[in-house]
Amino acid sequence: MGLVRKQAPQEPEEALPEGPSAEILLSRLDDPDPDRRRESALGLVGAPEAVPAMLARVGVEEDPRVLESMLTTLAAYDTEDVAGGLAVHLASDEAGLRTAVAAALATMPRSFPAVLPSLLAAPDHDVRVMTAMILADLQHPEAHTWLVRMICQDPHPNVVTGAIDALLPSATTDDVQLLLDARERFPDDPFLRFTVNAALPRLTGTP
Amino acid sequence: MASTAATGLSDGDFIRFAEYFYKRTGIHFAAGKRYFVDKRIDTCIRNSPYDTFAAWFAALRTSDQGPMLQELINQLTVNETYFLREDYQFDAMLSTVLPNVLAARGGVGRIVGPVKILSLPCSTGEEPYSIALRLLEEWDQIDHVDVEIHGADIDSEVLAKAAHASYGERSVQRVPKAWMNKYFAAVGAGRYQVDEGIRSAVTLHKVNICDTAAMRSFRDFDIVFCRNVLIYFDELSSRRAAENLYGAMRPGGYLFLGHSESMSRISPIFTPTRLPEGLVYQRPTGAK
Repeated sequence: MGLVRKQAPQEPEEALPEGPSAEILLSRLDDPDPDRRRESALGLVGAPEAVPAMLARVGVEEDPRVLESMLTTLAAYDTEDVAGGLAVHLASDEAGLRTAVAAALATMPRSFPAVLPSLLAAPDHDVRVMTAMILADLQHPEAHTWLVRMICQDPHPNVVTGAIDALLPSATTDDVQLLLDARERFPDDPFLRFTVNAALPRLTGTP
Repeated sequence: MASTAATGLSDGDFIRFAEYFYKRTGIHFAAGKRYFVDKRIDTCIRNSPYDTFAAWFAALRTSDQGPMLQELINQLTVNETYFLREDYQFDAMLSTVLPNVLAARGGVGRIVGPVKILSLPCSTGEEPYSIALRLLEEWDQIDHVDVEIHGADIDSEVLAKAAHASYGERSVQRVPKAWMNKYFAAVGAGRYQVDEGIRSAVTLHKVNICDTAAMRSFRDFDIVFCRNVLIYFDELSSRRAAENLYGAMRPGGYLFLGHSESMSRISPIFTPTRLPEGLVYQRPTGAK
């Protein structure tokens, strides 16, 4: 008893056996064991032929941990096809799926701009709120500009409030007038008014 | 409005900068860290083509994940490691986590296989050897339970240093004198080498935490220390690292992150658990 060394010292990167093929991993996405599905989804990184099948499973996978691993693998592709295939779930009735997909899209700065116009024009304002959430975390030099556009142009106060909330961490005194204009555009919306009023002292440097 | 002479940062600038940096790295600098932050921002500005904080910060926000942000992170994070660093987490391991692990695995005398502890990244070895010291000196079950300690890192040079386990005085300054006498040997030039018995008990591996295939050989760890590394990754890499750590752990296993890191900002697959000594993350027991 006490401290023991592992019996067979391992060199993981040298002695690692060949992993299962993409074909086998794909078939395991239907395995009843969620842990096996999770590991298969992670193992499919670098197998672009698996992307359509994984995208098709995003909406039907019931285990949130398996869904997370699929999204981690899919997001690594950062292609317009993947972004488009994920973005459709922003309108899902399932909050867990919507949120997980939004978090994945926020890690796709190369391809997300391609789906942005259709998301900004989505008739469902909740989709546009989710879009603002994505832009809050998207590491893209235009993210700030897109949020400003949402604040100026979106007709729904919840979307504008969401965009303001997303903008605030990177907002400066230059954005004060933008916030004042938004507050004036929706004078009867208490949440938007609260959000702007709470932000102004920090941005203007006044109590 | 207050400002500092070196950078010209106003209080408002500092708050905006702190919020930006927190958003990008998860590291929060309170006003009490103002002097530390101002000095390092000043260095970044001097190393850049910009003359003022406003111009530098605007360029930083525009370029975002680029080299400007990396330089800033390098300036604002302390890479130095040493024995018994952030040892409140070792306190948690001894007082709460290990008893829970033993209970979950059937208790002393009935546990099958060793308790497995992983330090990743282990850098030059201070962390896994600190774990060994704390277990040997302070865990009353160490004579009744087998414990495997593994250290892993992507850098082969630091692993070679970890294997040699020779440290300067600064690195061992928090090690009690009695422990120094018992487990270290002076090897000259103010350096001290960890005793062969401990060195040989720690298994070292070279691995990239983001490499799912390589991480497949790490399985069934009861406790993982993964401190102050996820902050260096972009969001996607952090997600994959989190998934790989999850796969390396036994259901119900415990994950310690650095004090400024939050798994909640990376992935929802772990369950945060509040211990008396602080926050730890668990692989859910319901999952296989």
